[in-house]
Amino acid sequence: MKKQSHNTVKSIVAAVFLLATTTLLNTGFAAEKPNTEGGDAARGAKSWVDNCMRCHNARDPKELRDDQWITTTYHMRIRAGLTGQETRDIIAFLQMSN
Amino acid sequence: MKIKLITLACMLGLAVSTSATAASELEKLRSEVDALNTKAKEWEEWKAPKTLVHLAGYADVGYVDTEAESGSFNVGTFSPIFHYQFSDMVMLEAELEIGIDEGGKSEVGVDYLTIDYFMNDYAALIVGKFLSPLGQFRQNLHPSWINKMASAPVGFGHDQAAPNAEVGIMVKGGFKTGNGTSNYALYVGNGPTLELEAPDEIEMIETPGLNKDGEGKKVVGGRYGLFFPEQQLDIGLSAASGETSIRQGSSGSYTYEPGRSYDALGFDFAWRVVGFDIRGEYIKQEVGDDVTSVAPTGGEWVAWYVQAAYKFNNSNWEAALRLSDYDTPHASQDRNQTAIGVNYVFSSNFIGKLNFEINENPNAGLTASDRTLVQLAYGF
Ligand code: HEC
Repeated sequence: MKKQSHNTVKSIVAAVFLLATTTLLNTGFAAEKPNTEGGDAARGAKSWVDNCMRCHNARDPKELRDDQWITTTYHMRIRAGLTGQETRDIIAFLQMSN
Repeated sequence: MKIKLITLACMLGLAVSTSATAASELEKLRSEVDALNTKAKEWEEWKAPKTLVHLAGYADVGYVDTEAESGSFNVGTFSPIFHYQFSDMVMLEAELEIGIDEGGKSEVGVDYLTIDYFMNDYAALIVGKFLSPLGQFRQNLHPSWINKMASAPVGFGHDQAAPNAEVGIMVKGGFKTGNGTSNYALYVGNGPTLELEAPDEIEMIETPGLNKDGEGKKVVGGRYGLFFPEQQLDIGLSAASGETSIRQGSSGSYTYEPGRSYDALGFDFAWRVVGFDIRGEYIKQEVGDDVTSVAPTGGEWVAWYVQAAYKFNNSNWEAALRLSDYDTPHASQDRNQTAIGVNYVFSSNFIGKLNFEINENPNAGLTASDRTLVQLAYGF
């Protein structure tokens, strides 16, 4: 019984923590904002060199269409824990090199 | 005089009709340019539309020759990945796992399926079935075009020492720290379940990403990673804690025991130095004892690997070496393995591999089968 209540508490703490982070960290993006606004290709080139060979061979910027680089880089943002700014910079670089 | 007048009239007529033709030509050209402009604007839309759809994924095929068994051609997996993204707000990611079993029957699985909400620049909320964020192999290296070897290290396969997937809710993101970056993942999930072997022994910890939390007690876990770009060094520390339980019966009529303790601990690194790609990882999953259970004794499932790959300068050839070890409460399942590989990197996402695995089962005094593997992997 003790064990059970201990675990329930743990679950509640975790859930509250997650909800709190969601609320606190949610600065509320405007839905209308394009996914690439504010990207800097020069900074993106450095971030690309730094990050895009960490897990796998570097993929050629010419391999995908501009729009495909958006979804791919957002996917990689999640995989690698990139910041939003790094993501936008890398997209700007990839789209420029395309 | 008459002739002169007629000629003048003719010339005037001609001039009028020529300028009329020129004007209509101009009009036609103008409307063509307008139409092209509209088209060009439509193409511009491709650069940053609000809704994006993208199909990615990978597949591998090959040949496996196991000592004391006949060699066979095989289809590893075809894993399409679907991406749907709306603005910079939300993304749905789903990876299917389509394969063929020994008998030729097709199998389809959901590797992961999540809705990711980008809360801000430093955090994304990920809800659904996700690959376990503990360690690096499962979440970052398992796709065959990424894995330098044609197989997973021992202990990192399905339902072995390294957890596979989780159904729950996760916050994942990153931020700058000094001259490097931090990345983190923190989750709450249904946790694993325990499979019985003999009537009173736990055979394995199953972590396929369960859609029901049998004993109703969640697992909390995560990974904290540091990346140093100058040194090209990644290090990560993972942990999870909660409860799990023994599951009996068959799908649709499962019964679950009350919960018992479950803990996991892991460490991983990746370092790219002087042309080498060096990686390593340690993972332990532990189940506590429970005197009231049909299988009172818990146990530890531990695995580690170190791997080095070297791509020869200005050539497509790559050499790889991996040592891995897997320890369980059952001596017969323990393994250690030395794997040697030669890869031909046709392009960054299309790789041919030739591997030789020396498999041993030291704790049971048995020799496990050595294997030769050939694989073609393509990521798209
Ligand atoms: C933390 C490891 C990691 C890093 C860093 C990383 N990738 Fe990936 N990448 C992966 C994994 C894992 C996959 C396979 C996706 C899957 O199976 O879910 C992948 C897949 C891809 C694909 C194939 C398409 C797709 O979406 O599956 C492309 C292209 C790609 N990455 C480009 C990049 C670029 C560009 C960067 C730099 C921003 C990058 N990667 C950084 C791990 C990483």
